[in-house]
Amino acid sequence: MPVLHRRSLLAAASALVLTRAVQAEPAKGEPVLLGVSGPLTGPNAQYGAQWKQGFDLALDEINGSGGIKGRPLAYIFEDTQSDPRQSVAVAQKFVADPKIVAELGDFASPASMAASPIYQRGKLVQFGFTNSHPDFTKGGDYMWSNSVSQADEQPLSAAYAVKRLGLKKIAVLHLNTDWGRTSKDLFDKAAKEMGAEVVATEGYLPDEKDFRSTLVRVRGAKPDGLMLISYYSDAALIARQVRQAGIKLPIVAASSVYSPKFIELGGDAVEGVFTASRYFPDDPRPQVRDFVGKFKAKYSKEPDAFNAYAYDTMTLMAAVMREYGADRKAIHDGLAKIKDVPSVIFGKTTFDTKTRRVDGAMNVELVVKDGKFQLNESHAAVR
Amino acid sequence: MSSWIDYTVNGIIIGNIYALLAVGLALIFGVSRLINFAHGSVYVVGAYAGFLAVTHLGTPLPVTIALVVVVGALLGLVIERFGLRPLQGYAHIAPLLATIGISFVLDQLVQLFFTPDPRALPSSLLETRFQIGSGTIGALDLVIAAIGLASAGLLYTFLRYTRLGWAVRATAQDRDAAQQMGVDVDAVNRTVFAIASGLGAVSGLLVGMYYNYIDPAMSFQATLKGVVAQVVGGVGNVPGAIAGSLLLGLVESYGIALFGTSYRNLFAFVLLVAVLVWRPNGLFASKRQTPPEPMTGTFIAPSRPIQIPGKVLLAAAAVAALVPLVLPHPYVLQTLTNSWLYALLGLSLTLIAGTVGLVSLGHAALLAIGGYSSALLALNFGVPVGIAILSAGLIAALLGTVLVFPSFRLRGHYLSIATLAIGEIVSLVILNWEWLTRGPIGVSGIPSLSLFGIELDTDRSVYWFTLVLVIVLAALQLRLLGSHLGRVLRAVRDDDVAARSYGIRLDRYKALAFAFGSFAAGVSGGVTSHIYSYINHETFNAQLSILALTIVILGGMGNVTGAIVGSVLLVGLPEVFRVAAEYRVLIYGLVLLLLVRFRPQGLLGTV
Repeated sequence: MPVLHRRSLLAAASALVLTRAVQAEPAKGEPVLLGVSGPLTGPNAQYGAQWKQGFDLALDEINGSGGIKGRPLAYIFEDTQSDPRQSVAVAQKFVADPKIVAELGDFASPASMAASPIYQRGKLVQFGFTNSHPDFTKGGDYMWSNSVSQADEQPLSAAYAVKRLGLKKIAVLHLNTDWGRTSKDLFDKAAKEMGAEVVATEGYLPDEKDFRSTLVRVRGAKPDGLMLISYYSDAALIARQVRQAGIKLPIVAASSVYSPKFIELGGDAVEGVFTASRYFPDDPRPQVRDFVGKFKAKYSKEPDAFNAYAYDTMTLMAAVMREYGADRKAIHDGLAKIKDVPSVIFGKTTFDTKTRRVDGAMNVELVVKDGKFQLNESHAAVR
Repeated sequence: MSSWIDYTVNGIIIGNIYALLAVGLALIFGVSRLINFAHGSVYVVGAYAGFLAVTHLGTPLPVTIALVVVVGALLGLVIERFGLRPLQGYAHIAPLLATIGISFVLDQLVQLFFTPDPRALPSSLLETRFQIGSGTIGALDLVIAAIGLASAGLLYTFLRYTRLGWAVRATAQDRDAAQQMGVDVDAVNRTVFAIASGLGAVSGLLVGMYYNYIDPAMSFQATLKGVVAQVVGGVGNVPGAIAGSLLLGLVESYGIALFGTSYRNLFAFVLLVAVLVWRPNGLFASKRQTPPEPMTGTFIAPSRPIQIPGKVLLAAAAVAALVPLVLPHPYVLQTLTNSWLYALLGLSLTLIAGTVGLVSLGHAALLAIGGYSSALLALNFGVPVGIAILSAGLIAALLGTVLVFPSFRLRGHYLSIATLAIGEIVSLVILNWEWLTRGPIGVSGIPSLSLFGIELDTDRSVYWFTLVLVIVLAALQLRLLGSHLGRVLRAVRDDDVAARSYGIRLDRYKALAFAFGSFAAGVSGGVTSHIYSYINHETFNAQLSILALTIVILGGMGNVTGAIVGSVLLVGLPEVFRVAAEYRVLIYGLVLLLLVRFRPQGLLGTV
């Protein structure tokens, strides 16, 4: 019987993931399930692994403090390799499974947005917590996102580069993806409004490793500083090659480079790189202290941006369910109503019900010094 | 002016890195006539072996290199013995698929052992840098160049002056004749794999040190660049591979200089197609050479296809049509809908690769052309979706045929590589042609499927729609194969000289078949774009082309039913293996290997 077969597979799958996701918790009974659609294999697998760490940490806390009205919270992580063909199948699976109350992910826009029509039709919230594509939440009223809006972030980066560091002629290197491109356009606009000039723009593909010739071109434009709209791995590669090429200009990097890996991969070359972050380990905010402390205790390393997004998202979903109930409709309606959920990224999360996004991410301005991210105190204080 | 010196130096440095990869690929191709898709995976394994040695054992560089060579060589022996030797005597297409399976398995193993996180691979000794022009080069650049040259020199000596080297060259020239002369062909193969894999592993180590960066996902790009470099130089030609690599590095660097970073790969692939069309044996091949491949009837395995009576096919179609009523689970329907969409792609490629013998490695480009055509027609001009999809098929047929037409004179692997390059070119043009395609932002808000004003908004209706498309196009294709035209197409594949001497104009028939096949792929891409509602240049990527070829080989080249069965299996299996979470791709790779091992002519056999 194919039906039985499929069910038993599903059961086996949930059992397998559950045993890993939920460890000894006081909350009892039938778990409340979230579906996660994201990459565990393939070229983006590292991000899926980081999500898991953030989720699991949040679940320890949530289930340690009574779960969702006494029931434990858990998630089923379905690997899609961030491939649209697989994310649409996973979407159907989640929509058809009445136990799933909301979905988190996918990672990249092509995979996430291809699945949106299915979630919208199935009336299951698709919570794309890394989806900064401007059109993601336009997919329908079931698409929500707490990903940091680039319209928010890029003016802050521009202010850092132009106003605080005094750069006037900036060369921008950006990932040539939907995220990088959107960010670059917003950065350009903000920097120009602040009176700076963007003298060179170079878009590169995500799997690019050699930037030597790009840097010759950049140097030819005679900038007084570089802006990297990159993830940590490519930003580290660029920074190394910048220094190897003998270019001594200041480097500003988007907050997505905030990861211990950036320093590990970049070594001495990332010394002096200016960046920003939504949170910082020495932040006095209690939720940040809590998150960083527990993360280090559990994984014996510093958390990075993707860990924090995942942690925040799981915490937010738990808050919505605790307040408004753990079913699909309650979550959809609750997201619009919920106010001021404590958050590492935003301080307090409240959705703009028109855009279904969150405004006003926190911002601390950092610099890499002595092999560590440190507050950039030489220029001004934390905002 | 001085910046041109910098661009040149940079081009040579990066070409230097490609050379290490290309030499290994060239060696293997020279002897086994095989594009080794697992080469990039060996490179990754080498990088990680070096990482372990440096970070855990603290070995100095020469020891690390020696260790990595040994690991690489052993891995090469294992690949040769268990992955490829059992496939000897089958057509070349089977080992090609085997190397794809091996690369899945190796990449995934590395990822499981070392996590997908990128790692730093420090090289403390080699931080000294020298000023050249206005940039600098490091000691590591020189070490890489030295190792590249030294290995090429050693190889040259080995091939020229040792008995085993003679055997390698004899085998490369004519395998059967060498065997008759008493050459132990297996030993030659082993040696070549060991040497090439040792080199591949060292290049992984050195490139990792160069960038202070390794991750398990870097294998595909490495294979791609290595293949391009060695083909530019002339496949199987070791000094040519080095020259080709340097040329590739220079062209990329000058491309960036003239047009910007996002055009880099575009130049590399345009160079490749130009070289292939202009001098199919590579830039550095001597004019008079034995034909690169003994072509007739060897690339595609002759076999007796499994005959399936028409009634059974009809019954199968009826069963497929009843699925939504018997088993109305949306997940199953979606997976099967995906299978039908890929079956369209499979039908297309099985006709082009199987029936006519043009093994395309860039088939995803046709999906992309179809997807973008349909999406943009519907969005920008308000064309009804049904007509947009039909137009997408026609546009893909026209554009696909025009793009590939210059390559029709190429044979075997050369055509495959040309199509691989054309596939990449299409994807890069989509990325850079912003006013039309919206560049990296992609096309969103594509209207959902509808036909004559009726919305196909349920899982069932989409399922039936795609199933009907598959059945109609499959029936047409079966009719085509059974006709006079079908026999002509097979004649072109089996013996093009004989076909030509019967007065058949090869190009025209190839173009006809390509247009018919591209139509199916374009329709598939068009339908996909309306189902997804959002596409960008990454939606139809190079991995998809590999999947398409896998579907076709698995089903049996040229076999219409086989393409459909292959598609259901290859789209379905990864879903079935979901329970295995991170091990999913590993199992998929192993199953692929076993299938190739025991059914190299495909499940249903070549038609």
